Amino acid sequence: MSSSEADPDIPDLVCQLDNVQGMVDALSSVRWKRHQDSVLELSEHGIVVIVEESGCLQAKVYLKKELFVSYEYRAEGRPRFGVSLGVFVDCLNTFSVSGRSSSIEICYPGPDMQLLLKSVDTPDACIYAEIRTKVPDTISWDYNFEPAGSTPLSFTVKSAALKEAIDDLEWPGSSIQIVLQPDPPCVQFRGEGHGDLQIDFMYYANTDLLIAFQCDRLVSYRYKYKFLRATTSNMPGSVIKDNRGSKLTIGRGGMLKVQHLVSVARPSTQHPHIDSAAYQQPSRIAYIEFFVKPEVDEEPVNDA
Amino acid sequence: MKFKAFLTDNGVSLLEKRFLPALDKMGRICHLYLTKDHAFFLHNLLNGDGVQSIAQFRKESLFEDYRISSQNDDRIAFTIDLGLLHRALRSSVSVCGHVTTATNRLQVKLVKKLTHNSQQPMPFLTFESKGYKSAVIQDVPISKPLSRVDVVELQSAIDMAQDLPQTLVQGPDLHQLQSFVDRLKHVGDLLHITITQYGDLHLQLLNTLTTLGVEFRKLPVVGVQAHVPSGDQNMTAQSRTKYAVEKGEALSVQVSLKHFAKSLQCHLTKPDCAFYGITPLASCLTVIFQFFIPGTRQTDKSISLHCRLPVLDPGSA
Repeated sequence: MSSSEADPDIPDLVCQLDNVQGMVDALSSVRWKRHQDSVLELSEHGIVVIVEESGCLQAKVYLKKELFVSYEYRAEGRPRFGVSLGVFVDCLNTFSVSGRSSSIEICYPGPDMQLLLKSVDTPDACIYAEIRTKVPDTISWDYNFEPAGSTPLSFTVKSAALKEAIDDLEWPGSSIQIVLQPDPPCVQFRGEGHGDLQIDFMYYANTDLLIAFQCDRLVSYRYKYKFLRATTSNMPGSVIKDNRGSKLTIGRGGMLKVQHLVSVARPSTQHPHIDSAAYQQPSRIAYIEFFVKPEVDEEPVNDA
Repeated sequence: MKFKAFLTDNGVSLLEKRFLPALDKMGRICHLYLTKDHAFFLHNLLNGDGVQSIAQFRKESLFEDYRISSQNDDRIAFTIDLGLLHRALRSSVSVCGHVTTATNRLQVKLVKKLTHNSQQPMPFLTFESKGYKSAVIQDVPISKPLSRVDVVELQSAIDMAQDLPQTLVQGPDLHQLQSFVDRLKHVGDLLHITITQYGDLHLQLLNTLTTLGVEFRKLPVVGVQAHVPSGDQNMTAQSRTKYAVEKGEALSVQVSLKHFAKSLQCHLTKPDCAFYGITPLASCLTVIFQFFIPGTRQTDKSISLHCRLPVLDPGSA
């Protein structure tokens, strides 16, 4: 676990964050059920939070060190530990007081290997949390995502439209087929179950919805609806409001990668002299990635 | 047994806008206890396990032409549904308006009436309001008046609930505290509360996966005080609290987070400040709300409201 066990007094990581709500938003977007285990991986580049379900769905939240006001990393290697995602988000949420900015310090490990959080900007009203950590499961948390060929198969769609489309597909439910075709350039979501529903994003017809499209051959894969839904079900309000694009890429074997961007910028109205351009700063963005494995059909609908 | 009075404008605004909405959140049903000089709204005084709340009004703060008589030392108590009482009051006010004159005063009285589905006359608290061209009578059903024994028991429960903690700290902003406690609800349901004689209020929630707390420091203290130990600013909140309890300069109790959140609903009564204290022997957590005479910093002694939260475990005290 910790690689600095030789000197237990020096924590592996001490960092400060000035926008707790942004972190709550980012982590909430990968919280698709109440009780979920997550693995935190610390490195000199930042913190990665990884969540996994049923060997079919994995989500990663990348909190780069640039998101933090300060980031002191002293471990060698990459310490990994498990925490309950729900507890982590609920604890972080208590630090986020509406109507005013709240800064916190995150420290790992505590005296009993806990993840420690405490508020730093209010000397006479200190909030603190100690979250029990555990040794992460030995299963591989890495889904090797490899490009499907020389040309990536990907498209970028407005986040709100993607969420709406996936929400609509709840009605047919069960299994959703995603089809990418180069001519005419188009993405189709097809649901067959209690009924049939097909949603088409035509690249030339909807350039304001389908922002980018790359595909050189027809591909089609099926994904379980519940996993696909998890990729957008808890999309934070800020993502829908900003409505940047969400990027979907199909990799080798049909592995689907869904990427969202969550703003972790401090609201610019409160400290215009410090962070007036925060919303434009790419460094104040948390990256969210979901990996969804395709369903294995008896008669695989595969690369044409 | 007779009770008849006119609600004053101040009484209407106190009850309609502030106290009834807040007390309704404490629990739908409460005792309304009327004496020669006071009116009380009481929650959970005769049954022990919930949050006890005691709202006391001097008769002049709510009523004028206040007439009460009973064979039990002119005391009458009954249970009433606060939701219905609030609705009746709101409706009466909409008829006679917020500002009353000699002709459109809002009368409250106890009556017994025969209703179409009962043979026996039933007791009601009746609101009678006269508008410009109409009059409206609202009958709020109430329980049978409490027996002499029950009234004595209610009065002694009120007397017992008056014991004050030795140390009271003036709490932080109620909205801030409430927003924090609302978020805590997702994490657990047992709250450890420690109050030190230095003016620290420490709320802590423990469960198997996490310890989450907030410590408010340097709050104004009423009652027994102690000097802040030197060097304690370098300690963590938990060790500071532990140290203070060991020195006998703090009391600690465990209460239900739900009860605590409920007591914070009293902010709807718009108190000017709130004090928190733990009674000797850590028998309960007391929250006292203070109201100022409008436009002054002087306590309005005609209104008082306090809550007593049952302690779930004697804690470390």
